[in-house]
Amino acid sequence: MSRLKNPYESQKAVIEKIVPETPGIKTFVVRPKGKFSFHCGQFAELMVAGVGEGPFAMSSPCFKPEVLEFTVQNVGYMTARLHQMKEGDVVGIRGPYGNGFPLKDFHGKEVLLLIGGVGFPPARTLLYSLLQEKHQYKRIILCYGARTPQDIVYKYQIEDFRKKIELHLTVDKADANWKEREGVVTVLLDKIKVDLRNSVSVVIGPPIMMKYGTLKLLQVGYQPKDIYLSMERKMYCGIGQCRHCMIDHYFICKDGPVFTYEQLKDLPDIWE
Amino acid sequence: MAERYYIGKAHWGSILRGWMEKYTILAPQRAHKSLHIQPVTQDHLTSIVYDEARAAQPLKSFLLPPLEEVVGKEPSENEKPWLFLGIKACDLSALPILDQAFGGDFADPLYQKRREESMLVSSDCTQPWETCFCTLVGGQPFPTKGFDLNLSKVWDGFVVEVGSLRGKALLDGHDEVIKEMVKEEAEALEKMRKETVKRVDQQNREFKFTKPHREVVSAHWESEVWKEHAETCVECGACNHACPTCHCYFLDDVTRKEFVKLRGWDACMYSGYAVTAGGGTPRPRLFERFRNRYFCKFNYLDKNYGMYGCTGCGRCIEGCQGRIDMRAALKDLAKA
Repeated sequence: MSRLKNPYESQKAVIEKIVPETPGIKTFVVRPKGKFSFHCGQFAELMVAGVGEGPFAMSSPCFKPEVLEFTVQNVGYMTARLHQMKEGDVVGIRGPYGNGFPLKDFHGKEVLLLIGGVGFPPARTLLYSLLQEKHQYKRIILCYGARTPQDIVYKYQIEDFRKKIELHLTVDKADANWKEREGVVTVLLDKIKVDLRNSVSVVIGPPIMMKYGTLKLLQVGYQPKDIYLSMERKMYCGIGQCRHCMIDHYFICKDGPVFTYEQLKDLPDIWE
Repeated sequence: MAERYYIGKAHWGSILRGWMEKYTILAPQRAHKSLHIQPVTQDHLTSIVYDEARAAQPLKSFLLPPLEEVVGKEPSENEKPWLFLGIKACDLSALPILDQAFGGDFADPLYQKRREESMLVSSDCTQPWETCFCTLVGGQPFPTKGFDLNLSKVWDGFVVEVGSLRGKALLDGHDEVIKEMVKEEAEALEKMRKETVKRVDQQNREFKFTKPHREVVSAHWESEVWKEHAETCVECGACNHACPTCHCYFLDDVTRKEFVKLRGWDACMYSGYAVTAGGGTPRPRLFERFRNRYFCKFNYLDKNYGMYGCTGCGRCIEGCQGRIDMRAALKDLAKA
């Protein structure tokens, strides 16, 4: 019998740098000890040895896979421990998993990214890929919403992105220094005119934002097949076995995480 | 045409002893009122229960143990492979789901090794439990495929059906005791099988409906039936754990050793099953988890693997603290 590769085994990766993003979010720059490559929109299982694993999208460019970035919010047991780790510490990673974004289907089109909160990491990987072959796309528009100005991730890159793409920002609750829009992320769509016959949109964010974001895009006139969603649920294996992440018969980890709304629209309770 | 032989009981012991040299035989043996699959030793060859009904444990208990290290475990060499003896049709027919789930691009090496090495010598069911309902979900109480050898107890011996080349090889060296099956034995076999089918049909008369299960379940996302039948559920997960096709698992890194990973049986009936780090869950209410189990069995698994996740073994009914009967729930859905 041929020796099968153990699909549950993680490889070691060294944390080279930790970038604080917001009070609860850090970006971990890790260098895998072995080989690793991925498509934008895929994810990996990041592991703190002896503590646990969690699925996180790479937020770094997929054309530079030697070093990976994971932007992680401190919300649970495993992420709390990850946030305590220091540069030089070793984590485990396995992957990449999932389908990623079908970039070829976006070619020649206006691409609108509707992004909420900590949904930015996978969107940033997508942005890097879009910008790398910018001539392939008619327009690149990023609409990003966070709760407060302090909750915005990648603040230090915003101005750079603004030079390269159409970028619109909003926060749910502004402070005295805030000069951009105030309100939930969907308010940004009111002022944007797109060529609906030749447009795709991508929605990534917390469940409630994805729900209302998608409904708004439909209202604007996007077709369900032109709305791409990066879905999330409880996940263990990442490889289509353990069944925790299922939406109806779809494995988010294997058939997704990227789905068109067309695929999901008739299924009950997809936003929960 | 199936390749069938007849072996008299007098010769059976020597065949078993031959198998024991190469394999660890695991077979149903009586334990109180039920049958438990246990290792067979030289001293109690006669305590194997070949016919009667399925054992208490599903086969997955062996192929996918309840808790094991999937990373960090040293491969165990020199252990004899298993030979499962007396496995019933309702367990065999669960294997294609496990084979697909733990095969493919991310095949699980532990499962694959056990599956490839283990011999399956199945047998006909003759005295189904009250909870057995294989014929309601398209099954039969006797194996027709998926075995290496199948045994049907006929008179004072077995009709042995060959299901694979390696199954046939299990009979090597016993030519003098293996006889061609004669017409009378074939007739007795058919009669016995018909009687068992009739008995299963008979005890499930009140639960029968004609529409396909997938249709019956899928048409009733919104239904009071889920709430009514989930009422006595105590969320113990017995239905999940006893089921021969349920295979949801969790991975656990919580150990003192670095980079060790445990895999354990999970249960979709548990309230924490799908809870994320942030505390959200798609199925916060009990009836939603209950409904999900039926949708998984008769819709999702069918879409994923081309078959229902229910073989009618009845273990979920037998093990239920709340006396929930899947047959009754399905029947109520069909009537709704």
